[in-house]
Amino acid sequence: MRITKILYISILLVCLGVHAQNKQLLYDFSDIPQALLVNPGVQTDFKWYAGIPGVSGISAQAGSSGVSAYDLFAADGVDFNTKVRTLLLAGMTASDEFSGTQQAELITIGFRGSKPNVFYSFGIYAELDVIGYWLKDYAILAIEGSADRLNQRFDLGDLKTRGELLNVFHFGVNKKVSNTLTLGGRAKIYSSILDFNSTRNKGFFVTRPGENNLLSSTINADMKWRTSGINAVKAAADEENIPATIIKRGLFGGNLGLGLDLGFTHQLNTQTVVTGSLLDLGFIYHTNDVENYTLKGDVTTEGVEVILPRDALDPNRDFWQDLVDNIEEIVPFENNFKNYITFRPTKLYASLRYNWGEQALKGADCDCGPNVSRDNRVPKFVNGVGGQLYMINRPRGPQTALSAFYQRRFGNVLAIKATYTVDKFSYTNIGFGLNLQAGPINLYLMADNLLAYSNIADSRYASFQLGLNIISWGKK
Amino acid sequence: MQKIGRSMFFLVLLVCGTISCTENLDFNQYDDLEATPTYEAGILYLEVEEGLINLLVDVDVFSQNFNFDAFSSDIFADRVLDGTLTFVLENTTSKELEITVELLDEGGTVTDTVLFLTQPAPTAIIQSEIAYGDAGRSIAIIKTLSTIRITAKNLGDNTSVSNLSNPLITLKSSGKFRLRLK
Repeated sequence: MRITKILYISILLVCLGVHAQNKQLLYDFSDIPQALLVNPGVQTDFKWYAGIPGVSGISAQAGSSGVSAYDLFAADGVDFNTKVRTLLLAGMTASDEFSGTQQAELITIGFRGSKPNVFYSFGIYAELDVIGYWLKDYAILAIEGSADRLNQRFDLGDLKTRGELLNVFHFGVNKKVSNTLTLGGRAKIYSSILDFNSTRNKGFFVTRPGENNLLSSTINADMKWRTSGINAVKAAADEENIPATIIKRGLFGGNLGLGLDLGFTHQLNTQTVVTGSLLDLGFIYHTNDVENYTLKGDVTTEGVEVILPRDALDPNRDFWQDLVDNIEEIVPFENNFKNYITFRPTKLYASLRYNWGEQALKGADCDCGPNVSRDNRVPKFVNGVGGQLYMINRPRGPQTALSAFYQRRFGNVLAIKATYTVDKFSYTNIGFGLNLQAGPINLYLMADNLLAYSNIADSRYASFQLGLNIISWGKK
Repeated sequence: MQKIGRSMFFLVLLVCGTISCTENLDFNQYDDLEATPTYEAGILYLEVEEGLINLLVDVDVFSQNFNFDAFSSDIFADRVLDGTLTFVLENTTSKELEITVELLDEGGTVTDTVLFLTQPAPTAIIQSEIAYGDAGRSIAIIKTLSTIRITAKNLGDNTSVSNLSNPLITLKSSGKFRLRLK
């Protein structure tokens, strides 16, 4: 049974993709080094830290805004075809999505420079980012067809998807510029392993009563499907050499891009803090292993048309082939190898937090050594409460999530954060994060949408984050 | 350190496994999914002016084979379940005409025939719907269709002209077929 659950979670992660991850639990959780990756301007008081390679930061999230696996696959005796028609064809809209981001840190290191107010961090992480919207009109065409739907336009723009696998090399600087303001920035180099996108499609397919013949069919299309790295990975699969190809392309052997993260933390007063960050303001220029496909044109056909005497009967004329050639000429399906640019899914975080119940700054492992003055230490309050905003740009426009949170520290060993989040996936998303500090060992575990765990299959959204670091606050 | 990493991984699995439950799911239901869409489109439109008929002194106005490979292509033939061909014949000429539609396979064998006998104008529109598949003629006729042969015979004279404007004989046709995609 446990194996089934684990398998199910894996299937959810792999098949549905992973939802573009809102890291509302990690955001502004300043006890955790990885909080610097969601706000480079977070208040830090580490002397240095180092992530355990491979497990320092792992996060994944799976989501579907339309249906859950339970909706479709529950053993409830309802005919599966009825469910598909009711839940998918009639129930979902073209704005419903399967999407996500998955990240795994490979290296992460942070250290305080000679100037105690400046903290540097750098590392490498791998990221998978995928989004696909529900192909509503394509699904209707595939399952029900176009018959008896005269004049109904099937929107070819329902094909809207993008996905990428890349490594991110980053270097960040975090500076406490005053007692009330901390600023941060992070430069990123993207090394794209593979990419596909088809996000600006337009057009329709429609069947109408014909002018001469009984029916006319029209296709009006302006569609693009752009790829890079896919052919290389396919070739590697044929040669059973995928790992080497992915590693090579992930280490600057694929396509490159540049990006920037910005963030700040501002103390409005001793107990009130406002924060904000803008992540992945960047692009990737695809020049390597690029192959694109296009379908563009507008044609209407009523079938083979022979009008006498206009079309003198030539016994050798192939009217059918002429028709096919004509359609292919007017609406050509072509490929090209033109370079292209993709912009990263930029994210915005903001929060307002009120703290109370200040605790002493004497920590188990922290006495803020010679390079970390007491001034650098962030006032540690026992309690914090506030709200957070998350936005991400997506092919169908920005997506937003709002969170309310409560944070509490238990000495210097344990800190927790609970969140309630509202977004397009769920109105009942309660998350819980735990940060444990055992000497220099730092361990954090976070999970979202906990109420759904009573029947995980019925959840449209599940996520977790975990990490393991070694942290030092300097000599005692 | 690896030991700690492993321990943490199993801890997460343990926590997830302990606190999560799931109702019974039956992914085998996917096997029951039937994707059998029905598509329809125009097939052949033929139009002959009365003036042309008067120019031809033979009884046979014309007989012409039209290549039509749409149905015999693998993507269609391997999936088609059943459907109908619809023909609509309209005669606004002053002639009595006999129109024969023959469906031929790749070897030139006639596999199906549809015959229309139409009186001089004014005449009603003749519509014929022919079903193929379980409820009609053999679907193999459609799967092997390679050529449509149209033969028109003038059973009237070669001099009269209909008093209707632009006298014609027109043959319209469409197909409506159900395919099994899954």
